[in-house]
Amino acid sequence: MGTLNVKLFDLAMILYGVASLCYIVFLYAKKEGVGKVATLVTGASALSATAAFIARWVESYKLGIGRIPVTNLYESLVFFAWVVVIFYLLFEWRYKSRTFGAFVLPIAFFTMLFASTTESSITPLVPALQSYWLHIHVITCFIGYAAFAVSCGIAVMYLLKEKQEARGESKGIVGLFPSTRVLDDIVYRAVIIGFPFLTAGIITGAAWANYAWGTYWSWDPKETWSLIVWLIYAAFLHARITRGWRGRKTAILSIVGFLATIFCYLGVNLVLSGLHSYGGS
Amino acid sequence: MSKKSSESFFEKVWKFFASLRLAIPVLIILAVASIFGTIIEQNKPLEHYRRFYSESTIKILSKLGLFDMYHSWWFLLLLVLFAINLTCCTVDRLPNVFKVVRNPKRTLDEGMERSLSLVHRWRKKGKVEELREKFASALSQAFAKPVETYNSDVLHLYAERGAFSRFGVYITHVSILIVLVGAIIGNIWGFKGYVNIVEGDQISRVQTRGSKGIVDLGFAVRCNDFRIEYYPNGTPKEYISDLSVIEGGKEVLRKTIEVNDPLRYKGIWFYQSSYGTAGATNITVDVRKKEDGSLIKRLTLLPNQKVKVEGVGTISAVDFDPNLQGFGPALRVRVEGESGQPLSFWIFKNFPDFDKRRGQPFYLVFSGIDEIYYTGLQVAKDPGVNIVWVGCVFMVLGILVAFFGSHRRVWLKLVPQEGGRVEVVLAGAANRNRLAFEKTFQRLKEELSKV
Ligand code: HEM
Repeated sequence: MGTLNVKLFDLAMILYGVASLCYIVFLYAKKEGVGKVATLVTGASALSATAAFIARWVESYKLGIGRIPVTNLYESLVFFAWVVVIFYLLFEWRYKSRTFGAFVLPIAFFTMLFASTTESSITPLVPALQSYWLHIHVITCFIGYAAFAVSCGIAVMYLLKEKQEARGESKGIVGLFPSTRVLDDIVYRAVIIGFPFLTAGIITGAAWANYAWGTYWSWDPKETWSLIVWLIYAAFLHARITRGWRGRKTAILSIVGFLATIFCYLGVNLVLSGLHSYGGS
Repeated sequence: MSKKSSESFFEKVWKFFASLRLAIPVLIILAVASIFGTIIEQNKPLEHYRRFYSESTIKILSKLGLFDMYHSWWFLLLLVLFAINLTCCTVDRLPNVFKVVRNPKRTLDEGMERSLSLVHRWRKKGKVEELREKFASALSQAFAKPVETYNSDVLHLYAERGAFSRFGVYITHVSILIVLVGAIIGNIWGFKGYVNIVEGDQISRVQTRGSKGIVDLGFAVRCNDFRIEYYPNGTPKEYISDLSVIEGGKEVLRKTIEVNDPLRYKGIWFYQSSYGTAGATNITVDVRKKEDGSLIKRLTLLPNQKVKVEGVGTISAVDFDPNLQGFGPALRVRVEGESGQPLSFWIFKNFPDFDKRRGQPFYLVFSGIDEIYYTGLQVAKDPGVNIVWVGCVFMVLGILVAFFGSHRRVWLKLVPQEGGRVEVVLAGAANRNRLAFEKTFQRLKEELSKV
């Protein structure tokens, strides 16, 4: 497919990949210049993806099926990657550190790589999916998921850093990371951005279900997995205010939470069956 | 130590149920337990499970309630435990929060001065009484209006912002309980059912799922019309039913419903859910001359009804397919000629010339069918659903307040010293987002030292 929006998304994918490489090189070479290039490339990739969304929206109107581009697997994947990159840029700016890039940008790149294997044409919506609740549902959920992705990437950094601190060293790439105290704080901050969005996402999903078929909760696998993700992050939040859980255990919960998120997002459709299977219904 | 051992049994039980140490395992166990219900398909007929499991496995799974797990006694028990935990925790802590908010600590004593991390002190010429006004107004300007307390000759100014944010967590917790209450009410006093209505017919009773059997609605619903709209590429765009509510023999409400846009009447909701054909009437077939395509006769047929046409034979419609092999609506007709074998063949609505190929002096054109549809409606009554939504709104608000609000407190103490001087002690505390508060405190320090 050669439509403009897909070309722009492909460009964004390549830029995510280049940016990931730059951030990794930056970690090894420790050259400020490489880091600056990485940030520039990331900025360009975000612009390209933004332009792609606008192009896709316009194209859908031209096809006479105008709709927000967040309603099939391809669109949700590229939206997710886009939000991850936006969040990443915000965190880089806020914490003035480029070391996170090597752990977060690849998430966006591999998501796009996966997206490029799925059907990218703009298709009309079946009646059940024509709902504003659904659009808000997808947007809020994926902003939440993206925040959890960032949290997970930084939780991995936390675990590496903690191991090193335990050995009393501060060498190598890991030595460049911010301290465990800062990393722990960012893991938490990303989760408290994601949690309200996930909560709102589950609620708008329930509202949609209620309007579409009369039950706001029917324990279908997709719903249940979003609840599981929510419970894990609720456990994370309470673990943080419990003595002895902060740090290592909460970092692990953040990683487990994101794995559950991925399963909720893809595993349920690929592995389990349910009401939600994209494309299938 | 002695206090601990004197705790009564009741107190110990209460502490246990109100503790976070119980909450975290309960949350994790709920999450893990929920997984099983997504792996094992729920509420399927027994034959379905036989395809996947052996008889003995089925027996075990069914004993454990895993085929209807989310309604099994142990899962409900887990939810009850969760609710009790949440309730006890709230009852245990909320009074304290009220105390902190309504009656905050307005004076800065030695112990606090030592325990707070943000403390700054300096000396100033003048008398407490003279400086009081200036500091109070400076603090008002830079932060919030302070409350003044004299403690012998020491003056304490106390100012706070965002005290309400301490309730965020409790709004969240109570909202979860509200959602659970709404869900219980819906389960007890609501129902869910399903009904098919043929175009032109009406119903007033609905077969429900679960133990309520057939429910009498107390009014009737008529389906005036059902239709499907398509996108240009032929995929369905919308399923539409034109419904009327009839009460006491009169139409009291009429609404066109679509998927995602249900009909509501007296707390009962009707959702567009499926459709089907209930038979066809009035099939129109044209008989045309092959030479010039002029109409010989327009036939209006009922299914399988035989109609005789002079010079052609007896024609009947024997089968209909709304989309035969992707070529659109098709009709199978049977022609019994005045001589020779009866023939039956398909004609297509979208290809009016199709039958010319038969090489007869006339050809048949399928020009229309008036199908009778039935609309399939999901019918639901849920008196708890609004309570659930109220809980949901408070849940999001509570979470936002809990995460992004912060109770910031500032104490300013003026202690008279010898030699016409005053010691000024500024102290601050925030219960969340301390980094941001440190900046606020820094600014306050600068502002107040200018006084
Ligand atoms: C899924 C259910 C729950 C949700 C969504 C939830 C939500 C929250 C949130 C958002 C916070 C604030 C966390 C923070 O400041 O980082 C919190 C704190 C807290 N939660 Fe929960 N909670 C849940 C269940 C429970 C349960 C069952 C208990 C039972 C003991 C509990 C006890 C507490 C306590 C004690 C705090 C700390 C309050 C404080 O900081 O003063 N929570 N909860």
